[in-house]
Amino acid sequence: MSAIITLSLLAILVLYLGLFKARRALLPVSLLGLVATVVLYGVQWGKTAEPLYSGMVLFDHFAVVFSVVCVILTILVLLLSKDYFDKSSPHVAEYYALLLFSLTGAVLVVSFHNLAMLFIGIEIMSVALYILAGIRKKDFASNEAALKYFLMGAYSTGFLLFGIALLYGASGSFDLAAIKEYVVSNPQGISPLFYAGILLLIVSLAFKLGAAPFHFWTPDVYDGSPILITIFMATVVKTAAIAGFLRLFYFCFIPLQDFWVPVLLVMTIITLFVGNLTAIVQQSVKRMLAYSSISHAGYLLFAIVAIGATSANSVLFYVTAYSLSTIIGFGSLILVKRATGSEHFEAFNGLAKKNPYLSLAIAIAMLSLAGIPLTAGFVGKFMMFSGVLADYQVLLVVLAVINAAMGIFYYFRVIVAMYFKPLDRDAIVVSGPYRVVFFLAALITLLLGVYPAWLTGLI
Amino acid sequence: MSVFYFVAFLSIFFALMTIFTKNPVHSVLYLVITFFTFTVHYILLNAQFLAVVNFIVYMGAIMVLFLFVLMLLNLNKDTEPLKSNLVKFMGVIAGMCLLVTLAASFRLLQISDPVVLKNPDIGLVSNLGKVLFSDFLLPFEISSILLLTAMVGAVLLAKNDPKKV
Amino acid sequence: MELAFVIEKVVLVTLIFVVTLVIAMYSTLAERKVAGFMQDRFGPDRAGPFGILQPLCDGGKFFFKEEIIPAGAHKSLFILGPTIAIITACIGSAVIPWGQSLTIGDRVIELQVTDVNIGVLYMFGVVALGVYGIMLGGWASNNKFSLMGAVRAASQSISYELAMGLALIALLMVTQTLSLKEIVEQQSGFVNWNIWVQPLGFLIFLVCAFAECNRVPFDLPECETELIGGYNLEYSSMKLGLYMFSEYINMFVSSALMATLYFGGYNFPFMYDLGLSQNWITIIGVIVFFAKIFAFIFFFMWIRWTLPRFRYDQLMNLGWKVLIPLAIANIVLTGVITIINDTFF
Repeated sequence: MSAIITLSLLAILVLYLGLFKARRALLPVSLLGLVATVVLYGVQWGKTAEPLYSGMVLFDHFAVVFSVVCVILTILVLLLSKDYFDKSSPHVAEYYALLLFSLTGAVLVVSFHNLAMLFIGIEIMSVALYILAGIRKKDFASNEAALKYFLMGAYSTGFLLFGIALLYGASGSFDLAAIKEYVVSNPQGISPLFYAGILLLIVSLAFKLGAAPFHFWTPDVYDGSPILITIFMATVVKTAAIAGFLRLFYFCFIPLQDFWVPVLLVMTIITLFVGNLTAIVQQSVKRMLAYSSISHAGYLLFAIVAIGATSANSVLFYVTAYSLSTIIGFGSLILVKRATGSEHFEAFNGLAKKNPYLSLAIAIAMLSLAGIPLTAGFVGKFMMFSGVLADYQVLLVVLAVINAAMGIFYYFRVIVAMYFKPLDRDAIVVSGPYRVVFFLAALITLLLGVYPAWLTGLI
Repeated sequence: MSVFYFVAFLSIFFALMTIFTKNPVHSVLYLVITFFTFTVHYILLNAQFLAVVNFIVYMGAIMVLFLFVLMLLNLNKDTEPLKSNLVKFMGVIAGMCLLVTLAASFRLLQISDPVVLKNPDIGLVSNLGKVLFSDFLLPFEISSILLLTAMVGAVLLAKNDPKKV
Repeated sequence: MELAFVIEKVVLVTLIFVVTLVIAMYSTLAERKVAGFMQDRFGPDRAGPFGILQPLCDGGKFFFKEEIIPAGAHKSLFILGPTIAIITACIGSAVIPWGQSLTIGDRVIELQVTDVNIGVLYMFGVVALGVYGIMLGGWASNNKFSLMGAVRAASQSISYELAMGLALIALLMVTQTLSLKEIVEQQSGFVNWNIWVQPLGFLIFLVCAFAECNRVPFDLPECETELIGGYNLEYSSMKLGLYMFSEYINMFVSSALMATLYFGGYNFPFMYDLGLSQNWITIIGVIVFFAKIFAFIFFFMWIRWTLPRFRYDQLMNLGWKVLIPLAIANIVLTGVITIINDTFF
């Protein structure tokens, strides 16, 4: 709880710093606050968790681990923001504050123990992002992204609320423990309303996750938003969304597995194919990464299809691997775009000659996203697939392997462009914070690929 | 009970009018009436506070802003974007799917005994306040962050950037 | 529900309705008389002694004027606009407690149409609804100046509703009830009036009440020099009359509300020490209440002939940057004082 308070106060402090024009202090203060949050979570680790504030939040291991992942990802994103925002507008403090608010929402989404908290968390997370997507006021694509995200997001919130209302109507409580109690104690007499509620919740959570067929906003929003915001959306928000999804279903709906697993199964398959097939034909790296993030949402759904005790671990591992690689992918895109003004594959041509280290980091990220052994991405996919295999969903695994092959195709286009398409070009200047972020992310990706046990035993 | 059915009929009728009317200003006005029927529903449920808040916030503030924007935009038939039949068709199918799902789940419901509230005055202001400040204290306080976020965002988007010299 | 109860309420409603209309009518005369007084001239004095029949003549004239609905106007909404304006103005008085109870025979008659336990919020909702009349009328006229007036009215009313609500919250923290009847009962005597505990809140409420009624210095929606006539520019005959009427009714109701909330309603000093019977206390109370209302109405008019009109940006600045922060500070202050009171005394 102290972590949530720290985060909210930090955001307000940042707003005040902006008011007093202390622009230089913004980044250090934000980073310091986030590190303090991580420390506060660390202190909580290992204590037996009790639901707090009449069952509103529960900081069990699941919540703590996913919160820490979100906070660390935000630290990385903020490091990349060093001189990113200064160029676009004078209201830097507000951007930091909104990012921190959004993070607060994300942390609530992963630690909720009451549907009211789930709703508020999702709203805080999304409202801040609706605005951040549109901060380039003069840029048409940015405006479009913000408006699209807002309209679709508001619509999906409607589904969320309706779903929660139906669950409440059936079970008589917002509390997860009470809903679970209701499901367990009436194996035969579960109200039809409850099933409709589950379907509506799936719709809205799949929307936040960007899973097909509720993914239509993803490419345009990821493409139109400023890249840094895209990184935040593709990593922190996705992490929070899948963690919240899993938490709700793992806590409450396991006994009703026969009802919702087929639905999710179909959605997963559609998501994989939609994401991968469209990613293949993209010419812009940013759009390619956007579509690939849809397909990764599909892989993440595996854990919920094969829901069980190991699901949380596989999601944690997968989401960490995916987020780190995504940060490198989009982060390098910032640099490349700044240097060449283009987001196309050609912009990466011949990068390896002049920036060998940067290219290496990008290559590691792409390999990890594609799921090549010795990277974290491989282990993540392996855990997902083995979980599903244990559930005898062989067809799903076969389809997923086909999709992984498709993924290799388009991720390798970046690597091919960097290493095998010679082009005379100037070296890209990689500033200090970017080096730190890329180095850390690549290193962790490799380390986790070799020693996966560091992360798998946490939850 | 008959009052309920009458008001429910009005709600649905005006909600449909909101969708089907061509003129956007009429649409908003029908929506206002729809919200008014919701207020009546809340009163029937003895949820006075919710009723009056629905009245003040939705009818008195949000819909006025809607009307405000629509009047300034001065929309009419010429500016209405043409939607292709395919999109309309898909929309109808998707909507009907939702309707069928919900209708089916409602059809299976048995009519349960009328809910007997432990405390029929639960919707009155003082009781609601007690619940908000005890059981739901955390969401209540956290929602201030939501409002602050929205407020910062609105100012951020609406404010003019100072011209660079 | 017994028949006597229904009759009693019907009589009460009719009475309040008639009184409201008569007061609104004579407010127009009073306005001009006060203007005359302020400007050292007579004011209307032709129709009847002291011009006392003037409002009747005005009304008659309104009824017999030609009624024009502009060709480009949206007809149904054009008619709906003034209708909503007058209806919302009239229904506000339903929750105001006009006096204590009268005992006739063995019947106790409450001098209040209905004592809902959210009376204050009800008033607020009615005020919020009032803006629709202006918005619709202004838009339906199909005239740029009308629309401009309507938009001004809407934004002004929404802006000042916020400060008004915040000022009320501080008051409600003191009274701890939303029922107007109970609020009045708490203020019996003279020292218990809420004005003594909420002076700042009252000031904010007063300013906002001026703005909500579109009275000078906040009459931007109809400022002649910029907008020719404002939202009611295209209206003629009794429709124009209804708009003007609703404005005066609003003034009356908000005066009554201010008297109720801050000045003790029908309470007057030493009311229980004079040894009067309950009925007499009630009757004197009603008279005192109306005296307070008339004082406020006079104050409205006094301000009108004293202060010039604000510029629009000044109006918005006052609303958002002065009144709202003040109101919030007032809430905090009230809370702190309440806590200090509870812990130490």
